[in-house]
This record gives sequence, structure tokens and C-alpha cells, in this order.
Amino acid sequence: MRLRIGVLVVLALLALLIPPLGGDYYVHLFALVFTNVILAASLRPSLTCGQLNIGHSAFMSIGAYASALLAKNLAVPFEISMLCGAVLAAAVGLAIGYPSLRLRGVYFAMVTVAFVEVIRLIAQLWVPLTRGMSGLSGIPKPNLLGVTLATKASQYYLALALMLLTLLILWKLESSRLGLIWKSIGMADNLAQSLGVNIANHKLLAFMLGCFFAGVAGAFYAHFIRFLFPPEFGFLMATNILVYNYVGGRGHFAGPIVGAVFLSLLSEPFRGNAYETIFFSIAMLLTILFLPGGLITLPGKLAGLRWWKTPAALSPGATA
Amino acid sequence: MTADLLIQSTIIGLSIGSIYILMALGLTLMFGMMHIINFAHGAIYMLGAFAIYYIFFQGGVPYFAAFVLAMILLGTFGYLIERSIYRPIKGGIEPTLVALLALTTFLQAAGYPIFGQLDKHVPPVFQGTRNVLGVMVSVERLMIIPMAGALVVGLYLFINKTKMGAAMRAIEQDKEAAALQGVDVHAVNGLAFAIGFALAAASGALMAPIFKLDPMMGEQPLLKAFIIIILGGLGSIPGAILGGLMLGLIDSIVATALGAEPAFLLSFVFIILVLLFKPTGLFGYAP
Amino acid sequence: MSSTLLLETRGLTRHFGGLAAVNRVDLAVAEGEIVGLIGPNGAGKTTCFNLLSGFIRPTAGTIRFDGEDITRLRPHQVVERGLVRTFQLTTLFQEMTTLENVLLGLHLHSRRGLAHALFSRRTFPPDEVARSREVLEFTGLAAQAGQLAKNLPHGHQRVLGIAMALAARPRLLLLDEPVTGMNLDESGRVMALVKTIRDRGVTVLLVEHNMKAVMGTCERIVVLNFGQTLAEGSPAAVSTNAKVIEAYLGAGLEHARG
Repeated sequence: MRLRIGVLVVLALLALLIPPLGGDYYVHLFALVFTNVILAASLRPSLTCGQLNIGHSAFMSIGAYASALLAKNLAVPFEISMLCGAVLAAAVGLAIGYPSLRLRGVYFAMVTVAFVEVIRLIAQLWVPLTRGMSGLSGIPKPNLLGVTLATKASQYYLALALMLLTLLILWKLESSRLGLIWKSIGMADNLAQSLGVNIANHKLLAFMLGCFFAGVAGAFYAHFIRFLFPPEFGFLMATNILVYNYVGGRGHFAGPIVGAVFLSLLSEPFRGNAYETIFFSIAMLLTILFLPGGLITLPGKLAGLRWWKTPAALSPGATA
Repeated sequence: MTADLLIQSTIIGLSIGSIYILMALGLTLMFGMMHIINFAHGAIYMLGAFAIYYIFFQGGVPYFAAFVLAMILLGTFGYLIERSIYRPIKGGIEPTLVALLALTTFLQAAGYPIFGQLDKHVPPVFQGTRNVLGVMVSVERLMIIPMAGALVVGLYLFINKTKMGAAMRAIEQDKEAAALQGVDVHAVNGLAFAIGFALAAASGALMAPIFKLDPMMGEQPLLKAFIIIILGGLGSIPGAILGGLMLGLIDSIVATALGAEPAFLLSFVFIILVLLFKPTGLFGYAP
Repeated sequence: MSSTLLLETRGLTRHFGGLAAVNRVDLAVAEGEIVGLIGPNGAGKTTCFNLLSGFIRPTAGTIRFDGEDITRLRPHQVVERGLVRTFQLTTLFQEMTTLENVLLGLHLHSRRGLAHALFSRRTFPPDEVARSREVLEFTGLAAQAGQLAKNLPHGHQRVLGIAMALAARPRLLLLDEPVTGMNLDESGRVMALVKTIRDRGVTVLLVEHNMKAVMGTCERIVVLNFGQTLAEGSPAAVSTNAKVIEAYLGAGLEHARG
């Protein structure tokens, strides 16, 4: 436990130090990494419930466009436009999620894939609103509580704050009875139902929560990159977010975080060209084949290797 | 829309529909046998098209031979994928789906450095146009219909008249029972992968002379194949055929009237609606 | 023993495609009874259970539980009212220990509201742990508390399913083939457990193929065939009923009587 807090403190310090020490390049990079963490972590509740959700990018898109348009056309301040974007994303999530609840397995996955395409195409075709394939440019910088965050560094801190807030909320939920219910639904939903769990409501809640935070990530992204292009939020991005969870590890809250950070950082040298994706996909494949529990199981596996073992380390299982 | 345009769109729709049917058949076969959606199907379509480019256009091999060769190559690739990726994965369907996603991402991205950045074309194999029902249609497009049809008939015969086909049907019905009766489930799964990939490759090979080639060209056909198998019902072969035809016609006619992207949008909205009201598709069954 | 009707169905019907899996079944279970539901394969017994527990909706007919119409309720709502079922195919939280499985059964069932859910820690409150241990004691699984559910032998897994159902505080317990796949010893112990469960105030309705178990434990038996009620009555009456014997071709019943 002490180790965990220590690690968190060190990470927090590092995060705070990046702008003064790293310069614009790293500031930009890490702001995007934090955005990816929000996306990955917010997909987790859905995955925990056993829903194969490949639609997350659509909700990021909704949050992004909503916030961008409100700020650009109506001069709405960031805290409001972001919330609006997130709430809209959650509302759309409700609209698509509620009827889809009965769908199992691949059918649900297909609806999410179809939905990503629908949102992408709407963004492309609704040219008067979104400027379609020309892209929406001229998005203002985040105007937070009256202060325009003009520098990359200040926007970086915004991303950091949003990420920490998101993680805190999601962690609280996961470690509460709600999280346990989600887990039981993912493990055996018939059984959970027969023990009194309203699986429909809980699955919907997990889904909508994810949509909300995807919207938050989208809103930040819009005001950070300040240019939105519909194909960006497509099947590929949705797949990436799923991959952060699988490569990082599905069994632990830190899984998506580790996955998002690791993959975002490691693909950075290849950013923008085909090798980024090649590397990414190889990493995915290797992890699935050789480390099915995800990166998060790596410390455990290393600790299990013979030469590390001391008698004290051979402790019995945790349960009573 | 004029009558002529309608007739032309319909014929082209049948042509495109034939391609879609091939794609959908491969997908639905793999689903029926192993309950997975082959997310890599689009990438294989693309590879089939590029195979034609290199073997037929660059290599000078006669078209039909190149076509068959492409199917064999990618069919073998499918078998290898089954052995190296599908078989070792434990933990159910989800990791397999993610692995297939990884495979498709890899193949599409690797296409750029390997095949080069510039667009490639394969010139038409069959020259000229023909007058059908009063409109002029390119022979190239027309030839797709019988060629695809031949493959469909071949598949039908294989599944219904051969021992291997019987084994596949047995596994599709009840995997455990089939295994108990001595069917080598692993080998037959490998065959399913091979056939699925071969059909995808055939679709790409047939389309190669018509559209320009690029590594991402498989993404749209993949999404359309999804639409078809959902419409027709996952695992249902007649559903795939019917759905493929329907989508080909809708695509062609609606696209001519409204444009390609709105047609695409409409078809996605349509399948979302279908799924929401009939969760297992028009003819499908629950996995 | 009270004779209030705890469960009552009228004209319960369920169609699949054109076929009636359950056809105008009138079932009644009085409080404190142990009732057996038997019939050849495909008679509609599991469909009945699915209907009663809310997993599927009837095409026609009504289900009343303790006087309340529960026909259209969803599974979790049915459980709330005290009607709990087990599953034919072993359904457990495989990756969790025996104790954790029962804890989940208790915990998921406890109604403590969203606020509590959001602000409570995940570690189980001591009273829930204590009660879970009681349930394990009661069902004879105390020694397996720390074992993973997937590592339990088949018989223990089935009992764990029952234990979890008990944790959800049932008034009526629907047991779906509780002793299938068990040897004579095991099934004897489980059926004795069923009697003890009833003695503790839980009414039991069970489906079983094992005739010896059914005849030896149930006070009343309902026989289904092709989705319809074929016969009803005491074990003795049912086992000598000509129609019932014909339906089963005599095999199972002879075995039980002999």
C-alpha cells in the first residue's frame, strides 16, 4: 500500500514538472497522452460489464464538436461547453445504449461499429454545421472560468487536472459496490440477475458514464488541437482505445492507464507515418498472444520468476 | 432518375452485389463455425487486389490463373493465421476479435511502405461494353457476376456435397457433438479460415480492375460486409446472399440518386434499426 | 403447516415459433411445501422455471407470487420479492472463491441504495462475511471456503449454486436439477439439505430427473409432458399413474420404486 502511494506521488511530481523541464514538444505529447488515458479509463466500465464496445470514438467526436461549436459560434466558456459536450455525448449514449442492451456479444459490438460510422458520416455530411471534410478550424483556446489558457503549458495542466478528476471518479465508482456489480455482470450476467441485479440499468450506467468522459476528452482535444476532422474519430481510433485496455490489462483499474501511456509514448517516434500503426498493431498482437492479462500482469509474472523468490515473498492467497 | 439510369444502376448493383456476397459469405462462414467476426476481412480483400496487381499486371500471368493463385495464396495465409493466432488464444472470443483487429491494422499500415504510396491501377481485363436491356454496361463489370456466381456455386457444392463440408456443418450445429464424432475441429477451423480468406481475396481480385488500389481500400467493403451479415443474420448463408444482393442494389441505386456517402449512412442507420428490433438480424440466430 | 398459496400460475403458456413449450399450465405451490416438477426431456420444465423467474415472458397466462401478479416482472424484481432460482448448467463466479461467491450473492442482493454504493468501500462488511460463513456451514461447504469455484468438484459446485441462492433470502426456492450428475451419496446429502432448507421456512419447487431423489423428498409432484400438466399428486399416486408411466416408458419410475 505504501509502495502504491509512493509511486503515485512520484508520478504526480513528474507530471507537474514536465512543462518547466520538457518544453513544448513534451507538453504537447503528454497532454495528448492524458487525453488517451481519459478515453481508455472511461471505456473500462463498459468492458467490465462484458460489453465489447468499439464505439468510444464516436462519443469523443460528439463532445469535441459540441464544445468547439459552442465556443466558436456562441463564445461559451470552456467549463460550460465541455459539460455540454459531455452531457450530449451521454445523452446520445443513452439513446443508442438503451435499446442495445439486449444485444449480446458480437451483435452489440457491431452496433457500436455501425454507430461510429454513423457519427462520422453525419459529421462529414452536415457541412453547414461542421464544415465536413474541410475540417472545423478556428476553435478558440480553452476559456476557463474567465481566463483564456493561451499557453500549451496551461492547457497541459488543464488536461492533467481533467485526467486526475476523471480517474478519481472512476476509481471511486469501481471500488464501490457499483463496481462489484459491474464485475459480477461481466463474469456471469445470468447469475447476477438471478441474485437480484438489474443488469440493464447497470450496463446502461456503465455505458453512459463512458460516453460522458469520452465527451470530456473530446472537448479538451477540440480546444487543444483546435482543428477537427471527421475521419479522425473513426473505427481506427475506437479500436485504439479498446487496445489500450487490452494491452494494459483488463483485470485492474490501472490497466487502461498503463496501456494508454505505454502505447501512446512508444508510438510517438513513429507519429504520423505508417510505422506508428505497424508498431502499434504488432504490440497488440504480441500482448494478446503472450501476455493475455495485459502489461499490468508483468510485475506479477516477473515476481514469480524463481530467482526473485525469497521465503517471505511466498505469501498465501489473500482470502480468508 | 430516368429508366435507363435505373436499369444501369440495377445491373451495376447486381455486379457490386456479387462482390459483397463473396465477402459476406466468407464472414458468415467464419462466424457460423467459430463465432468470431473476422475484422481482418477487409485487409484480405485489399491483399487480393494487390495480388492481382503483382501477379497479373506486373507478372504477366493470365488473369484467371492469377485469380486462382491469389485465392490459394491468401487461403493459405488464412490457414496460417488460424494456427498462429486463433488457435493459441485462450480466454474466449474477445481476445480473438482484438487480435484480428490488430492483424487488420497491421496489414493496412504495412501496405503503405510495402506497396508504395502512389495509387496503383490494374487495367481492365475484359475490354469493351455490351448492350444489356438497352443500356451500355462495361463487360468488366458484367463478368463479375458469373465469376462470383461460380464461386458461390462452388462453395455450395463444397459445403453440401463433400465430407469436409459435412464436417463444417456439423461443427456449426454443435461443436462438441462433432468433436465426439471424430471431427478434427482444429483442422476444419483452419479450413474455414482458408475459405473465408480466399473468398475475401477473390472479391478484391475481382474488383482490382475497377477501382484504384490503396492499402485502405478494404475498409469500406468490410463495413459493408458487416451490414450484410447483420441484415442477413450472422451465420446464415442464404442471408448473406440475399443481404449482399440487397445492399448491392441499394448502394448502386441510392448512391446514384443521393451520393455514395449518404447511401452509406442510410445503410448503417438501417442496420442499427434492424438490430434493435430483431437482435439477431433478419435470419440469424443467437450465438 | 400453513396452506397459503405462495405461488400460483393460471394458464401459463409460452410459444417458441409455432411450438408451445409450456401450454396452459396451472401450477400451485403452498407455503412450506416441497414440490417436484418432473417430466420427460423437452416437457417444458426449464421453460417453466425461466417463466417463473422472469427470464422469459409468457405468451399468455399469469403468475402470482404471494398474491401479487409477477407475470411481467424482470428477473431482479422477481428476486426482490423472494423468488430465487438456481441454474441447470452450473453458473458460478468461476474465478472467485467459494466464500466470495456467497458473499456476492448476499451483497448483490442487499438493498442499500446508490449513495451507499458510491461511497462505501469494496471490502465486505463483517456482518455480511459472518452471514456468508453461516450459509457455507449450513450447506456443508465451510471447508471449501477458500477454494476457487472453478476448482470445486462438480457436486460441490452444484451445492454452491444452492448456497448462493440461499444468500439471496428466498421465500420460494426454484432448484433446477440440483442433484443431476451426482452419485447416490451426494444426492442423498443434497436432498437432505433441501429438506432442512424447507424446515427453515423456505418453500421449494424443484425440477429433477433423478426419480429416487424426487420421490423420496417431494410431498407433491407435478408431471409435465409436451408442455402440459399430465398428472399431479403424491409420489405414490403419480408413480402408479398409467399416463405418467406411459410418458416415461416406465424406465425411471420402475427404478425408483424398486
